[in-house]
Amino acid sequence: MVGKKKRGHPDVEELLSRPWCYYCERDFDDLKILISHQKAKHFKCERCGRRLNTAGGLSVHMNQVHKETLTMVDNSLPNRQGLEVEIFGMEGIPEDVSQAHNQRIIAGFYQAEAERRATTGNPGPGANQGNQSKKPKFESPTDLKKRLAEHKARKEAEKVAGTSSGGNTPRVEGVQNSPLGQSPSSFVRSAVDLTQALELTVSQNNASPYVAPQASHGASQGAGYGSFSQEPYSQPAAAYQQPYASQPPFSGPPGAQFQPQYSPPQQYTPSQSFPPPGFQPPGQNYPGGPPSFGAGSPPPGSFNGYHGPPSNTPPAHGGLPNRPPSLPPAPGLPQRPSFGAPQVPPYQMQQLHQGPPGTSFQGQQGSWAGNSWKGQDQKPAMSSSYPPHSQGYGDYSTNASSVDDLVSGAAREADDIDEIIRMAEAGIKPPKKGEAAVPPKKSKKDKPQKMIYSDNEMSPEEKMALMPRYAFVPDGKTETSLVDAATIPGVAGTVDA
Amino acid sequence: MRPYEISEPPTDAVSALKFAPDAPTRFLVSSWDKHVYLYELSSEAEGGKLIEKYEHRAPVLDAASEQTTMKLLLRGWIGRINLESGEQTVMSAHTAPVKSVVYSKEHSLLVSASWDSTLHFHDLKHPEKEPATIKLPAKPHSLSITASKLVVAMASRLVYIYELQSTLMLASQANGATTELQPWQQRESSLKFMTRAVACMPNDDGYASSSIEGRVAVEWFDPSPESQARKYAFKCHRQPDTSGDGTDIVYPVNALAFHPVHGTFASGGGDGVVALWDANAKRRIRQYQKYPTSVAALGFSSDGKYLAVGVCPGFENDQEDYSGEGVTKIYIRELGETEAKGKGPK
Repeated sequence: MVGKKKRGHPDVEELLSRPWCYYCERDFDDLKILISHQKAKHFKCERCGRRLNTAGGLSVHMNQVHKETLTMVDNSLPNRQGLEVEIFGMEGIPEDVSQAHNQRIIAGFYQAEAERRATTGNPGPGANQGNQSKKPKFESPTDLKKRLAEHKARKEAEKVAGTSSGGNTPRVEGVQNSPLGQSPSSFVRSAVDLTQALELTVSQNNASPYVAPQASHGASQGAGYGSFSQEPYSQPAAAYQQPYASQPPFSGPPGAQFQPQYSPPQQYTPSQSFPPPGFQPPGQNYPGGPPSFGAGSPPPGSFNGYHGPPSNTPPAHGGLPNRPPSLPPAPGLPQRPSFGAPQVPPYQMQQLHQGPPGTSFQGQQGSWAGNSWKGQDQKPAMSSSYPPHSQGYGDYSTNASSVDDLVSGAAREADDIDEIIRMAEAGIKPPKKGEAAVPPKKSKKDKPQKMIYSDNEMSPEEKMALMPRYAFVPDGKTETSLVDAATIPGVAGTVDA
Repeated sequence: MRPYEISEPPTDAVSALKFAPDAPTRFLVSSWDKHVYLYELSSEAEGGKLIEKYEHRAPVLDAASEQTTMKLLLRGWIGRINLESGEQTVMSAHTAPVKSVVYSKEHSLLVSASWDSTLHFHDLKHPEKEPATIKLPAKPHSLSITASKLVVAMASRLVYIYELQSTLMLASQANGATTELQPWQQRESSLKFMTRAVACMPNDDGYASSSIEGRVAVEWFDPSPESQARKYAFKCHRQPDTSGDGTDIVYPVNALAFHPVHGTFASGGGDGVVALWDANAKRRIRQYQKYPTSVAALGFSSDGKYLAVGVCPGFENDQEDYSGEGVTKIYIRELGETEAKGKGPK
């Protein structure tokens, strides 16, 4: 399970190298698309639809052709509307802005990665299987034999002495002879820890592909010690679940350290508190014998498989794919308590990067994957000038107010480009033109709106007409007398100019 | 070209603005200030001149003109004023305020629609005859007429389309009695909210309608499925909320007017924006800079050279304290040769 490559999400370097738009912080597959995006969204003349190359160019165009002054760049983030920076593609982006962008990418990358792992239960790309050596340490057969002999000898001696090492552990005889001279109870205690860890891993990793080895590891161990472990100390595993479940750093701001978060030491103490020699059960207690132990269970180190890949730990490195993890949450996977909690910082992170989303992010892992692409839609929707459809004008939900798309052929082209970009980002093949309008439609419809006049029953005129000051002035005359009144020339106040 | 302002605007909200069919420089403005104004656009330098102001005893909600006489309506009455002499005559009476009135040159017909849910057909060739009354299922909000059809947009999102020829015949047979004439077509508005305005295409193919919810729909008269499939609607006249929470402020689209030559149309909304659209190419041709207040009425001159825009604060919410005085304005925009011309399909 280590060797899997390329899961459809890019690594940090790839992300950092993506061209992105200074004005709206969106990133693109290549520079050409970025440039056409800028021309379509930021450097387009709203009067005639002409697409200029730079903001300066647009300004001059507006000035000369339409006699108007360009004050800000369209569809840009609030702090990027200025005309003073000359941007073309990736050129001209101020250093500090560029660095801030990279920071955001990096932070986001970790966030996305964490999410991904949370959802899939898979270790990150390149994650090794923990810090501990992969090889289980085995005693050589001679050592084992020697210990067996010692054990037998001690047993013999005990029998002779007529003592028992501990009343409460009558059945542990075989183990208590551990050469380390551990007290039985502490041993049992550790064993219980182990079983609980086992329960824990099983309960938590149920459907995860990752769980299998762990479970079998625990099981094989449990089988060895099963006889005593459960009864005296069958504490609810929940107690242990707690520390595991509340891994706050995991959902916290990413970017620094994954290692500690992924390797909650508590549960796995057994493997540490048992120095391997002592832990190693004597041959007869462990029916499979050492070889089978090695075969049937993966190295103990696999418990720590959640360790972040060392290559990703340097905090200065990494980046966020501003895109949803391409892996949807595994369907059968029970939600883990630790990740079900709302993750505010990452959410904001996303927000920061994607612009204020209308509705999409719930901050839950499930919806993260599902909605984030909608979220990307929201950005255009927010600026309200990107009806992403190409034929959508004909449909009800089209926003033609911004209707750059209506303005000219250029606009339409631009929207097509946009559509393709979005699709590409979501991993969807560019659909037929006719279908293009379908997915974004919904998100647009969801957009909250405030109607200036919302009374659907009575028109403003009707209400206005009810006002006393607009009432018909009855001058005591009947309808026919209106003619009289009207025919008096004086009534028609003549204001000839 | 910069729009210029008419010097003596009405003193209260504008209700309608209509150019004379035969004189491209004359137009009528009806107002809530109980007057109907007749303006003349003489020269660009002088701007528009007020020629005549006709006083009435109630707010005037619409006006229509034919050659030298004009029709107007006020609360419950349809009046006819001879523009030369200023002589006014009452043509008929509704039992509730009259919302709109349209005039058909081809049929010498004046149609009025009132909140008493009736239409009155006035045959101007026989002014002595009582107008024929047609019952409507709901209160009308807007009327629009072409050479052959009349579109009535009503409450409950109903739209009735009448064929003038046959309706006139039946109406004349009814001889002034109230009739339950069935329209040629009954439609439901393709917009989900209350219809605000309706305007017919000058080529008699279809019409556009607008709603209080920042949308305009364009549809065609032809009932064939192919033509009906062409209908569409789009959002307009809305702005992102300044608070930046992603909410759109949606303005009612108060006015629609088709350009008599190019067949494009203008929409005017509560946001103070006037936009020109190409109905066939489904494109926005241009959008003019915002007016200080809500656009209440729009009109193209018969030669398509001028666009008059009636602007006044919207009275959507606070009718109680409303006053359009001083802020009601009429702007005239002289259009360039191709300014309102559609670009044609790409």
